[in-house]
Amino acid sequence: MAEAAEATGVTWVASGAAGAASEAGSGGSAGALPAVEGITAAIHRGAVEALAADEPTWLRDRRLEAWSVYERTPMPTTRLEEWRYTDLRRKLKLDRLKLLPWQSRKFEASRAPVALVAAMAADEAASGHVIEIDGAVAQVDLLDELRSKGVILGSLRGSVRAYPDLLEPLLATEAVPATLGKFQALNAALWTDGTFLFVPSGVRLDLPVRVSRWFAQPGRAVFSRTLIVAEAGSQVSFVDEALSSDFAEQTFVSSAVEVFARDGAQIQYVSLQRMGWGAFHLSQQRTIAQRDATLDTLNVSLGGSVSRVDLSAELRGPGANSDMLGVYFGERDQHFDHNTRQDHIAPNAKSDLLYKGALDGKSRGVFRGIIKVHKGAQRTDAYQTNRNLLLSKHARAESLPRLEIEADDVRCSHGATVGQLEEEHVFYLMSRGLTRPQAERLVVTGFLEEVLSRLPLGGVVEKVTGIIEERLRG
Amino acid sequence: MADSPILSIRDLRAKVAGQDIEILHGVNLEILHGEIHAIMGPNGSGKSTLAKVLAGHPGYEVTGGEARFLGEDVLGLGPDERARRGMFLAFQYPVEIPGVSIANFLRTALQARLGTDEELDLFDFQEELLQRMELLEVEPSFAERPVNDGFSGGEKKRSEILQMAVLRPTLALMDETDSGLDIDALQVVAKGVKALHEEDAGMSVLIITHYQRLLSYIRPDRVHVLVGGRIVRSGGPELAEELEAKGYEEFRPAVER
Repeated sequence: MAEAAEATGVTWVASGAAGAASEAGSGGSAGALPAVEGITAAIHRGAVEALAADEPTWLRDRRLEAWSVYERTPMPTTRLEEWRYTDLRRKLKLDRLKLLPWQSRKFEASRAPVALVAAMAADEAASGHVIEIDGAVAQVDLLDELRSKGVILGSLRGSVRAYPDLLEPLLATEAVPATLGKFQALNAALWTDGTFLFVPSGVRLDLPVRVSRWFAQPGRAVFSRTLIVAEAGSQVSFVDEALSSDFAEQTFVSSAVEVFARDGAQIQYVSLQRMGWGAFHLSQQRTIAQRDATLDTLNVSLGGSVSRVDLSAELRGPGANSDMLGVYFGERDQHFDHNTRQDHIAPNAKSDLLYKGALDGKSRGVFRGIIKVHKGAQRTDAYQTNRNLLLSKHARAESLPRLEIEADDVRCSHGATVGQLEEEHVFYLMSRGLTRPQAERLVVTGFLEEVLSRLPLGGVVEKVTGIIEERLRG
Repeated sequence: MADSPILSIRDLRAKVAGQDIEILHGVNLEILHGEIHAIMGPNGSGKSTLAKVLAGHPGYEVTGGEARFLGEDVLGLGPDERARRGMFLAFQYPVEIPGVSIANFLRTALQARLGTDEELDLFDFQEELLQRMELLEVEPSFAERPVNDGFSGGEKKRSEILQMAVLRPTLALMDETDSGLDIDALQVVAKGVKALHEEDAGMSVLIITHYQRLLSYIRPDRVHVLVGGRIVRSGGPELAEELEAKGYEEFRPAVER
């Protein structure tokens, strides 16, 4: 029941048959190549050892093991399906990057960057708030009432010592382990800080937890991690906003995001990427939804020169449900690459993906998504839709939805479109008195609204719509 | 103002943009302040083309003549500029625009008309919108729905008249507003247009239609027959009834000329 392409210019790859070529997911076994790619003056084993020097043994071992995986995994090239449209040799200048060592930072509103302060001011009330500056958590706030209920919100670095029993089994083990790929390995070896959120059984947070991350240093590689655990029957929404200055020299930000929704838990995870020009943002996310859990995600990619999101949603328990939403808006020569996976392991689970992007200037959008229904995942409902709106004749979009189904009692569909702004829509609005730019802005925000309206979360929709409108205003 | 025409069209010629086929072969028409005119004609006579050309649709190219709106030749103006001067086109086939609510874009449209110096009063706007929705017998949630998205034929036409009621044009061009309407919807639409015209006697209306039935609710001052891209006959409201009885057959030779 694949959907037909509605417009010209769509790239269409579909394989509905069982047993089709498997994803190039695991890079850990590529021992045949002798190459040790990606080792530079800054990025080498010594750097990992220095970082791990004062850490507990389990973590030091984990970092070094991750480093070994990194060493023996070749640098992804465009020959790999997953990296076909993002050429790292051209887009990532790894050997020019310096590491940003962790250092203790304090957040002072009076000395904080204007853009960060403005972004935080636009947010509504929160259950908790984490401010991370250049890879180090500078401030953590959490409502006392939640703290007393056992909610933990803290810097990942600090939590290593404070909550080893919670972290050791889950950090870079199940969700985003080093064995997933070259950059998952690099992050697991070199992460400096990040956010840890733990919500105990049955605890429900009325207001979202917010994270504001700011990156200011040019020419750096920054590695940050997020670990979210919602225990059985708990509920939380989490909004991670990443911002930076514009960089004359490329800065590389690697974010690894691990999200666990235990039985019946409900999580909404939102990533709002608003990096500046010159930033390469890589976000590698894995969500694991257990029995009857709801684990919804929204990835909003607006900034950065290169933005790559790897999102893998695992429906691990029967009755699990994941809405996977994405919005991107590109201009100039921005490059967005969204690589998603809906992994149906358990029966009776549902996933519904909708990614929509508007691309202006010479920007490029790539969407590659796979629905994988494993043997035994009967009565799976899995849907996947990607729609692109090209606002200039130089913008381009590639859309590659895919199905791999090993069960026989499933409902799956996928569809992709690439289209232009409809002149009839613009004329209709102009005939009511709107100027052409006003009309075009409305059509574009309306196009993206379908996604945003599906995740109604305190202030996020308004914020994102506002940012896009401002960008459209030029 | 009362004596000078609201709309004065002289020898208007137009073709589909990018093609050589001329559709309007010299249309002449004058509408005075507060008048209701009807243009009737068979399919393919150029009725809708005339409405679209007047509104500034980019799919048509004017090849000759002029159209003065409030004394100004508007053929060189963009559709938005014409709208801000008080022209309104009720579409025959209103487009569906996902994610854009009627309230949202009407607000933007009214603000666009006010310009940058004046701020639209949102309370007044809401109140007016609610009142107008009542007049057109639609639910208050109607304006929050995306424009025409999933609307029935009748809802689309009501949405057009609702927009007209809020924007209060000086000249309303109604392009086959009666097509695809059942009798109940037709009555509501007609009631809405009549109410607007009574409220603001200065509003002029140009009704473009194939049939007489809308005209039995809204009595026109003048009726014109458009055949083959020309107005071949004009008369009073009785002309509409005559056409309804006899059809357009007698005007066929006009096409051949």
